[in-house]
Amino acid sequence: MSEQSIQRDLKKGSAELLILSLLEARPRHGYEISKLIETRSRGAVSFRVASLYPLLYRLEDRGLLLGRWVEKTGQRRRRYYRLTPAGRKILIQRRLGWLAFVEAIRHITGNEYA
Amino acid sequence: MPDWNQPIRQRLEGLNLDGSREAEIVEELSQHLEDRYRDMLSSGLSEDRAVTAALGELETDDLLARELRKTRQPADGRRAPLGATGPSSIFAGFRHDLKVALRIVIQKPAFAAMVAGILALGIASNAAIFSVFNGLFLRPLPFVEPSRLLDLDETAPKWDLTYVGISNFDAYHWMWGNTTFDGMAFFGHGGANLSDGSIASQRIEAPPVTYTLLDVLGLKPVFGRNILPKEDKPGGDNVILLGYDLWQRLYHGDRNILGHVLKLDGKPYTVIGILPREAALPPNADAWIPLAADPNSSGSYYLSGVGRLKHGVTIDQARADLTRVHKSFIKTQPVNEDTAPILQPLRDRYLGDFKTVTHILLGAVAVLLLIACVNIAGLMLVRGQSRARELGIRMALGASRARIVRHLFTESCVLAMAGGILGVALGEVCLRALVSLMPDDIPRWVEFGMDFRFVFFCVAVIGASAILFSLAPAVDALRVNAHGSLQETARVTFSRARRGMLGVLVVGEIALALMLLVGSGLLVQAFRKILNVDPGFRPHNVLTWSLDPPASKYKDGPSRYAFYHELIERLKSVPGVERVSAADLVPLGGHNGYFFVAEGARQLGPQEKNPVVLGITAMAGYFETMGLTFVGGRGFDERDEQPNQPHVAIVNESFVKWFWPGQNGVGKRISYAFGKPGKEDWLQVVGVVRDTAHYGLDGEHRPSVFATYPYAPQRAMTIAIRSGIDPHALVAPAREVIRQMDPDLPMFKIHTMTERLDHSLWTRRAYSWLFGAFAAVALLLAAAGIYGVISFSVSRRTREIGIRMALGARPAQVMRGVLADGMLLVGAGAALGLAAAYFAASLLRTMLFGVSPRDLFTYAAVAAMVALVGVAANYVPARRASRVDPNQALRFE
Repeated sequence: MSEQSIQRDLKKGSAELLILSLLEARPRHGYEISKLIETRSRGAVSFRVASLYPLLYRLEDRGLLLGRWVEKTGQRRRRYYRLTPAGRKILIQRRLGWLAFVEAIRHITGNEYA
Repeated sequence: MPDWNQPIRQRLEGLNLDGSREAEIVEELSQHLEDRYRDMLSSGLSEDRAVTAALGELETDDLLARELRKTRQPADGRRAPLGATGPSSIFAGFRHDLKVALRIVIQKPAFAAMVAGILALGIASNAAIFSVFNGLFLRPLPFVEPSRLLDLDETAPKWDLTYVGISNFDAYHWMWGNTTFDGMAFFGHGGANLSDGSIASQRIEAPPVTYTLLDVLGLKPVFGRNILPKEDKPGGDNVILLGYDLWQRLYHGDRNILGHVLKLDGKPYTVIGILPREAALPPNADAWIPLAADPNSSGSYYLSGVGRLKHGVTIDQARADLTRVHKSFIKTQPVNEDTAPILQPLRDRYLGDFKTVTHILLGAVAVLLLIACVNIAGLMLVRGQSRARELGIRMALGASRARIVRHLFTESCVLAMAGGILGVALGEVCLRALVSLMPDDIPRWVEFGMDFRFVFFCVAVIGASAILFSLAPAVDALRVNAHGSLQETARVTFSRARRGMLGVLVVGEIALALMLLVGSGLLVQAFRKILNVDPGFRPHNVLTWSLDPPASKYKDGPSRYAFYHELIERLKSVPGVERVSAADLVPLGGHNGYFFVAEGARQLGPQEKNPVVLGITAMAGYFETMGLTFVGGRGFDERDEQPNQPHVAIVNESFVKWFWPGQNGVGKRISYAFGKPGKEDWLQVVGVVRDTAHYGLDGEHRPSVFATYPYAPQRAMTIAIRSGIDPHALVAPAREVIRQMDPDLPMFKIHTMTERLDHSLWTRRAYSWLFGAFAAVALLLAAAGIYGVISFSVSRRTREIGIRMALGARPAQVMRGVLADGMLLVGAGAALGLAAAYFAASLLRTMLFGVSPRDLFTYAAVAAMVALVGVAANYVPARRASRVDPNQALRFE
């Protein structure tokens, strides 16, 4: 597998995992998602408009998320995203996969000092 | 408040989104930018910097559009709701897959080249051989309803002859008396010297045919007309139908040729029409003239026939019908007791000789195709396994399973396509080479072209095996859940079952290759054996050509003898010529059969038949010129050709062995079996020569009799010159000598004896070497298979090997272990292959020229060769294994 495609899959895979995780508890709008990623990663990871929204739309296309316009009195309407059952299933899988991956990486990197 | 909509819209331009969708996106994104802007302001940034920071979210000008393009459908009139996928996303996905597949294929050029190369070899060899087979045996003949056409001839088992030819009497009485044919036509075989004013005199094949021939074949003249029934009668007008090629060659397709008068053997013939190209019956006919035969003459058997069956009539019914007609004339034609009609499909008669050969070759390429499939399957499996880990990671990172399957599928398709294209190109080259090597006696109506249905079949078969086996890891990936995949790929990827499957593939491959090698070994042995056969004459530096002085000019035997005698005398003075003589049939020059009686011959057994004897007319000095060896007695000299001399003959060893076994034939008397007993015209045997390979080095030896020219004069003779120089250099001076004697007399069939021998071995040489080439390719493929599998297994076992070495195993031990593993597969394959070859080789029996299909030497040599190649293919991975650094290996993974 090429270096590039690993990077791309890694970023894509992890981004999906991040978004799905953040929506696990409750529906959120795009700006909220991006803020949460930034603050929880203490600024190490950030998603900007140009990459966040296309990714949201793609997840929506794949049936993992559902976006819906919500109007609250006195505010502009916002589009909220929530997990679909399919999204919830994938989230579990991705999370397990990620843990396994981290474990594997830890084994490899830890080996040097074993 | 800044206007966010404008910069967002700008970036969406070119996406061609439909209005409502664009509005939604703009609304959602500008909301985001607005939130960002407010946050920046509240964190104490100036308004300007807050705007810049918010706009920074859009990053480069084209990123948003690029990212969106992956998801959003351009508006094409239909309103798709947000989030729906449209049809073009499938195409986009395919394009993406294709791009990735191409990149991956290019990243591993050696692997790609190997797969494409194997595919190409398999496809090319199969396509080329099949196209030849197709042309010869499958493609319908270019006649109307060719399945109703039968070849007609007479057979005489009592005379030990399968094909006798048909007499005039039988031909016409079959034609008139049968009830099962819509039509019958007959034709002779014969050449004529064509002369036509400015055109240099030349030899053409102008067989006489019945006027029915075109109709029976269902053909029409290109233009002009057919022969008329009244022209096809004794004394009818001399007319000629020119063959298409001859018309093009000599008259450049001139349509004013109708009515033109040309000369055949000095007699004028009027051109009445042009034959279509397909009308090449007999094969290689250049023109047709009317047969104009007397239906009641029954002396000679010289015709061939073709009949068109009535609808619904079977060949057996037709045979019974013709036999009934044939036997009904036994009273007036007692010879019909011995002869009988023999019928077969047209193609079998003209191409039957090639049947065994092409079937065998087809079998060989089919095996090659199988090996190619197996090899590709093995390679794909190995490669798939080595990628299982990569696939596991990708799945863990979010690639969907469907996507991975699609991806692998595209990758194998790209490889299959590349191999297919390469294979077709290579196959076309091979086919052309094969066709250019074809002997001249293949009928002109046979066409060879690449059969693309078959090419497609080959690509499909090999491509399917590539795709099928490339998907194996994806199937695994589908089974293993995402959690397990990483660990599983790391440890258990090369499952016992998969390893077993690879082992079986390699064993099968070796067995198949060994089978081909044994076959080709036997054929090459046979070929070498034939090359070592003593031809019974000395072929080097002998030039031969034929002359056919027309009866119109050279009316009788003595005038022709005078011509030939003078020609020989004149040729003797040409510089470089050592000896000159002539015979009507030189070795490999054809057959004239007669029956002979011999004085004091042994009694024939009850089941024995008087053999057909090859009768040759030879002139003085012929035996010395051709280099025949005398066992006893002498050759002909000029005294034997003088009038009033006792009639003499020379026989060969086979003749002596048959008639006077254990005796010396010199001094005994023989006679042609024309007359009744007691009225023989005895010839005294003055010499006995060793048998010659008259019917080819691998042909039979028949009893032969040589008679002098005055006793058995012939019209056409073949002149033979033995020279001290390159015999080709004598063609021009010889032509000049002939031109001075008779400018209208063309030389034809100009060949050296070495060329004749070579030509007679063409088919055998071609199939022996082709078979050999296929076997070599098969071995190469099998070696690549072994190498691939063992290399892979070593690379999978690096860790284990490392541990063993860390525990004290020596490199030599490791190497031995790996070699043993590999050689176990080779051994199993070889054993299986030897067993299979033992049974399959008997299929070749008819082609082996006495070499036993169980020839121990061949089997042993092939087994040794396979073992050697096996060791070589195993050596590299084994060496690699022995050089594993335990430290590195343990860190690996």
